[in-house]
Amino acid sequence: MMRSPSLTKVGLWYSFSASHMKEQIAQVQAAAMQTIADAASMKELEQARVAILGKKGTLTQVQQGMKDVPKEDKPAVGALLNAARVEITSAMDRRMAELQALADASAIAGIDITLPGATLPAGGLHPISLVREEAVHILRRMGFTLADGPEIEDEWHCFDALNTPADHPARNEKDTFYFDSGKLLRTQTSTVQARVMEKQSPPVRIICPGSAFRRDAIDATHLSAFNQIEGLYVDREVSVGDLKGTLEYFLKALFGDDTAVRFRPHFFPFTEPSFEIDVLLRAAGQDPRWIEIAGCGMVNPAVFENIDCKSGKNFYQGCTGFAFGIGLERLAMIRWGIRDIRLLIENDVRFLAQFQ
Amino acid sequence: MNISKNWLAAYIDLDGLDTGEMADMLTFAGVEVEAMHERGVTTDQVVVAQVVQKSPVEGSDHLNVCMVDAGEGSLRQIVCGAQNYQVGDKVPCALPGAVLPGGWQIKEGKMMGHASCGMLCSASELGLPDKEHGLWILPQDYKVGTPVRQFTGTDTLFELEITPNRPDLLSHWGMARELAGITGRTLKADPGENPLSTESAGERILLSAPDICPLYTATRISGVKIGPSPEWLAERLLAIGLHPINNVVDITNYCLFELGHPLHAFDASQVQGELDIRLAHRGESFTSLMDDDFELQENDLVISDSSGRALALAGVMGGKNSGVTENTSDIILESAWFLPGSVRRTSRRLGLSSDSSYRFERGAAPWNTLRAAARAVQLILECAGGKAEPTLVAGQAPALVPEGQAQQATVLQQGTAAKVYCALPQVQLDWKELDVMTNASIPHMEAARILRNLGLKETTPGCWDCPPWRLDLKRSCDLLEEVVRVYGIANIPPTRTAIYAPESSHDRLHDFRCNISRHLAGAGFWEVQTFKLIAEQSADPTIASVQYALPIKPLQQGDVIRVALPLSEDHTVLRPSLAPGLLAVAARNLNQGLDVLRFFECGRVFRNTGGGKGKDIESEVLGILMAGKLAPSSWDHLKPQSAGAQHLTAIVERLLPKSHITVLPAKIARDAAAISADILANGQTCGFMARVALSVCRALDLPMDCYYAELDLRKLQQLSTASFKVKDLPLYPASGRDATLEVPVNMQHADIMKAVESAKQKLLESCRLKEIFCDPSGGKLAEGRKAMTYSFLYRNSAATLTAADVDAAHGELLKALTAKLPDIRYR
Repeated sequence: MMRSPSLTKVGLWYSFSASHMKEQIAQVQAAAMQTIADAASMKELEQARVAILGKKGTLTQVQQGMKDVPKEDKPAVGALLNAARVEITSAMDRRMAELQALADASAIAGIDITLPGATLPAGGLHPISLVREEAVHILRRMGFTLADGPEIEDEWHCFDALNTPADHPARNEKDTFYFDSGKLLRTQTSTVQARVMEKQSPPVRIICPGSAFRRDAIDATHLSAFNQIEGLYVDREVSVGDLKGTLEYFLKALFGDDTAVRFRPHFFPFTEPSFEIDVLLRAAGQDPRWIEIAGCGMVNPAVFENIDCKSGKNFYQGCTGFAFGIGLERLAMIRWGIRDIRLLIENDVRFLAQFQ
Repeated sequence: MNISKNWLAAYIDLDGLDTGEMADMLTFAGVEVEAMHERGVTTDQVVVAQVVQKSPVEGSDHLNVCMVDAGEGSLRQIVCGAQNYQVGDKVPCALPGAVLPGGWQIKEGKMMGHASCGMLCSASELGLPDKEHGLWILPQDYKVGTPVRQFTGTDTLFELEITPNRPDLLSHWGMARELAGITGRTLKADPGENPLSTESAGERILLSAPDICPLYTATRISGVKIGPSPEWLAERLLAIGLHPINNVVDITNYCLFELGHPLHAFDASQVQGELDIRLAHRGESFTSLMDDDFELQENDLVISDSSGRALALAGVMGGKNSGVTENTSDIILESAWFLPGSVRRTSRRLGLSSDSSYRFERGAAPWNTLRAAARAVQLILECAGGKAEPTLVAGQAPALVPEGQAQQATVLQQGTAAKVYCALPQVQLDWKELDVMTNASIPHMEAARILRNLGLKETTPGCWDCPPWRLDLKRSCDLLEEVVRVYGIANIPPTRTAIYAPESSHDRLHDFRCNISRHLAGAGFWEVQTFKLIAEQSADPTIASVQYALPIKPLQQGDVIRVALPLSEDHTVLRPSLAPGLLAVAARNLNQGLDVLRFFECGRVFRNTGGGKGKDIESEVLGILMAGKLAPSSWDHLKPQSAGAQHLTAIVERLLPKSHITVLPAKIARDAAAISADILANGQTCGFMARVALSVCRALDLPMDCYYAELDLRKLQQLSTASFKVKDLPLYPASGRDATLEVPVNMQHADIMKAVESAKQKLLESCRLKEIFCDPSGGKLAEGRKAMTYSFLYRNSAATLTAADVDAAHGELLKALTAKLPDIRYR
């Protein structure tokens, strides 16, 4: 560190003093420039700043000699001093920028941005939820309201109201789960039709996603508990055309606009006429094939009569309507090519992870 | 049901109708064609060939290398696996390039090192009824090289799905009539129209159960000669997959598949006295034709004779004691009508079904009873000889038309003394109904034509007589269905209507459930769907079992709802909690090597409110299970923490960010070995949380701490969707003070929080646990003690607090805590 010369206030030495000041400034400046250039780190540079420009810094001390400089010399010496300060300061700023850039560069030197990601716990929704949400989303956009009913049902809502003959095989205890109380696990979500209509006057436009149960042994294509979406629209003058237009729109929204949809006459006790709906499935490398996807039909007038008779309200005289039901497991299996329905209840993460 | 196209063509002109076209017509009229099988040889490349040499393939126990003469001038080498032929036999030979039924293409190849240039065929490989096992041995007079198709006919077999409302289609004549109705093609002569001499049975047939069997006819034919059926009849049965037995039995089967009405033939020598159509006695035994023994119940209907023995299970199957055998010379032919429900009940209970029971339980037409008898009598006399006595008729056709509905009476076949009436419904049809249903897209003339083609007759305008074979046509909607299905729904233009749909509470619950599921999936949980029917007890850890519903097991016996007739021990009760299912999922996935076990399910749980005597309730709940590691280990985090109660609490807090969550030890400890707690949101219970008992975890092969929470979805929904107003940001700074409480180890955080709350320090804004310190060595802290450091934050919303204010408030609080909590010290 440079030692500042001690200046004494001796009149005769004024002129000497001015020239001495100039010399001093030059010396301090040169030394400062060297120090700045030598600073190897931002910390050293900061120390140099204090040593040069601080309260006791070399340039500050030289500056203190100004008071002894003869008046006529002051502007010149002052200008010199200022120039020195400006030069030192800008050198420091430059050096600081250089050092900052070096430090920034070394700060990223060890970073390997290509390292594999750290692991977070993975999660996702079940495929049945995914298809249910999508189907519900489309149908609600079409003006259907959600409804629901109990899964432990009575025979009236499950069979009688829906025009199922008293000796129909579905009522057999080998096909349906009964309880000792005489109640049963609903065999179809159509029970909700009866539940809603006995309370609500038309128009009724509802869907019900829910579970249904049948006493089928579990294998690759059967579950004894499965999920359906039921739909019902009842009003004055609802037609087969409405049924067709509604379900064509729904299935195209679900499977794609270019999906071909066809209706085949079928039989269900609670609708007449009844239809099964097929969609034309196109899979890469395979011939397109028709796949049965849903059942539907015009509500059988006997259903309206049964409900009106039970509720005593005569809501549905002169009404027409359509109903449909679609199996969610089947929908998921078709959509994702799932070959074994049991995968949907086993909940193996290797399976679930494919739907993330 | 199987329909042979050749057989069908005996009743309807099918000229120029392509099979594919016919299949589509049927399918779109409601008779689904499930499969079509081409029968017979259609190619010239299957020729007659003679086996000239035959030598075993070394190293094979069944293959032979054959040299065959296929009329080509040189011999052809073929490797063959069949056993039933000799050198010199003539057999069908498929040459390379031939395509056999089912799209099977024949190519040259090698088998066990021997070239094989073609295939020697069995009848079934050529799509023909198989009469022998192995190669089809052809008559010696066939010339080698001749295409086999010259000797065989072709046929198409349709496998049809007949819906339960259309028993009239369960026969070839019925199907021909339907096809005529759909296409307008001409029907040929009705095989059911034959003369029959009848007389009243009088005392000779007793109808002891007239509700179940109101009409029974029996025809005695004496001097029949039992033998093989004529070729044409055997061929037709073979075509639909039935094996011919003898002429009389084959004719009863033939009539069933021709006209749709089941018949039965008894050996008359085994029938004593009059026939009695009666209900069985409880415990009465019956041995069927198939030699199976059954124990009958009081609601089974049997055909009995004066000896009291059951000769047949009515409409289901004949008895071994009275069947037609090779030695039979006199027979009694039964044609009757049985109540569908009765036949179904017996057939299902005994697990015994037949082509006969299938038709009776779906409803045979009473109209067909005497038609079938007449046809069978005619064929038996023709094929087996003998002499028929007049048919004995007992009873009347059942009244199948609902009471109060218009009907017309038709007299069925009448003989010398028996008249059988059959009532047929008349239906009023207003075209307005059709216009509403189809948006007036079907012309009324066209609709009327369709109905007439199907056999209906408009007697007066708008009033239609239904044909006697269509028992399903009773109301106007039944007629509309006929018009729509035959006209074709494809021809009805689609329309779209919608109405304003108000949002229901179910809509809101659905939305909430979707949101919460996405939230949990994002937080690293797998959504699962487990079975609602679970085992009461199971030894298999991956089977959800109610015994693992600990510590939430039902409060008393009977709360768990049990199905009366479970499919298996694994699915006997409705789940009272999602815990068993989620634990089974965790066990299964742990077994697959997963060490981060984080699962949730939204779904219904079931419980009886009063030990089986109360109401069955169903509630929507959310179950969350955490076990194993918190996250998978990775290169930057080798040893992730194990999941603890605090992590599950954090998830619950995140689900309900606006609510103040407290977890309190359960009021009633449900299981000593588990830790159970109630989850409260804003002081209101909304679920429970538990560390599953270690004994349960061991039983499930889950050797780790399992934490489980179950929350009421509707309560969660109420809490999360409650409306709120934004709070102003604080104007004055808060000031914090820490305090370390040295307390007994068994003192719980909840105890301290309760004491803090009850101190009601006005300036205290919040309090949070900062650190817990224990020293099991006893060096820094006495054994049985722990140090809990809390940060307390003080604020005055109206002014800046001075240090003195804060110190005073803090001091007061600590003093209050000392008074409320036993055995605490500050450090």
